[in-house]
Amino acid sequence: MNKMTAADIEKTLIQEVATILGVDSSAISPNTPLHTLGIDSFSFVELLVFIEKTFNLKLIESGLTKEDFQTLHLLASYISRMN
Amino acid sequence: MKRYLTGIDWIIHTINHINKKETGVGNMFQVVLQLEGQLDETTLQKSLNKFIKKFPVVNGRSMRDYNLAPYWKIYPKNKMLSSSIRTYRLDNNATFSKVLFTLEQGINMPFSSIREHLVFHLIYAGKTSFLAVVFDHCLFDARGAEAFLNMDYSHRISLTEPAHLCKWKEKFEAGKRVNRKLVQLSKNRPMSLPLNSASDRKFNFKIISLDKRQTSAIIETAYNKVGYLMLMPYALAISIRALHSVFLKRGTHASDYIIPVSIDTRSAEKVHQEVFFNHMSFFLLRVKAKEADSFSVLLQSIKQQVYDQIKVDLPGDIEKASLLMRIAPLPVLGYLMRLPLKGQIASFCFSYIGEAAYTSPVFMGKKIHNIFHMPRVPIPPGLGIFFNRFQGKLNVVISYLDGILEKEEIDSIVQELTLTLSCEEREK
Repeated sequence: MNKMTAADIEKTLIQEVATILGVDSSAISPNTPLHTLGIDSFSFVELLVFIEKTFNLKLIESGLTKEDFQTLHLLASYISRMN
Repeated sequence: MKRYLTGIDWIIHTINHINKKETGVGNMFQVVLQLEGQLDETTLQKSLNKFIKKFPVVNGRSMRDYNLAPYWKIYPKNKMLSSSIRTYRLDNNATFSKVLFTLEQGINMPFSSIREHLVFHLIYAGKTSFLAVVFDHCLFDARGAEAFLNMDYSHRISLTEPAHLCKWKEKFEAGKRVNRKLVQLSKNRPMSLPLNSASDRKFNFKIISLDKRQTSAIIETAYNKVGYLMLMPYALAISIRALHSVFLKRGTHASDYIIPVSIDTRSAEKVHQEVFFNHMSFFLLRVKAKEADSFSVLLQSIKQQVYDQIKVDLPGDIEKASLLMRIAPLPVLGYLMRLPLKGQIASFCFSYIGEAAYTSPVFMGKKIHNIFHMPRVPIPPGLGIFFNRFQGKLNVVISYLDGILEKEEIDSIVQELTLTLSCEEREK
């Protein structure tokens, strides 16, 4: 499989967050902080599980700061660097 | 008209049955709106009568279909019961403890008939009024009740649910996985507090309400100690720690806390369409009592278990497996639910409901100061800690059955929670 670009990863994450929140993906901005999108503890863990299954990265134990997680754009950049 | 009940609905019906048998009052729940000024009773009554008539589902009752699937019978609109509002006038300078006493009376009062599932209590206390919406958990869950108050006359809701009498293999596979989890949890008898046997026991409540500044500080502490958006594991950890010393002082010999954590299975968008019935599932967490001695170990254990259970979709498996349990009559299922954990169901119940589904800052023209929840808890365990948030302000409610805690014990739990919530640094 070709390595995904940060933009592809961002698109994948937006799609997943839209599924978790039950909204259209156009309603999700990659630069909006996750907590203002309506993500809570459970939906955030769902997202972390999705990242582990899709990108083989176990972020729950990674010691990332909240700044790394704060937006889907930042998260996609991190995943891209790690992949 | 009928609406089939899901497996989770049937579990809630079973808890309702058990609670009625134990105390004469079912598995009721109360959502309380604290309002600025005096809400007009006549306007409220008229408005509610008109509004509730639009939703005959509120006067339904459960029955069993020819295919054996349980369903909620919805009667025609001309057979609706009128909505009930009870009014209480307290002194102008009534303290919150007096208001709480009145609220406790409301939540401990049984419904007047098998078709009554919703009652309103209006309490006037000086310049403030409290509207308590008492409902049968069989009719809706807590977020559903909040969303119900948010609806208007034109609101369209979904009441359809299939009988779920297909995909049996999938349900049995899920049942197998849930059973394995229960076997794993039941290796040791769970920590629990003994219940007394009087039949007229009522539930008591303690409420800790925080302002926006305090809530922000707690969220920040949770971020720093557990991680981004990890308020729920933090809330559960401080609840366990607050109860731990009481359990230890009682000399409980068991080694594990078993805590069912309820979660909403609807997305934030769907809560306004799926208002009625129960749209929830559970995590089943086991925390070793010795883990509660170290806060960081406790936090890590909870966080990891939530992650692992989401990864294997335990809440989804419970939803599927519980569909199989609908065949069991309520007394039988009530008996079966106590079997794996040697007569217990849990050490205590816990839920963290995020921001309220009631989104408006006003109710019938009156500013809302706060919304908090007062649930009766399944018996056993007869004890629960519940977190909810309204407009960025956190509430913590402890619900406990008569006789389960001594006065000094509940005082120490409240003190411990208050201290931790005030973000005092007490890390071991």
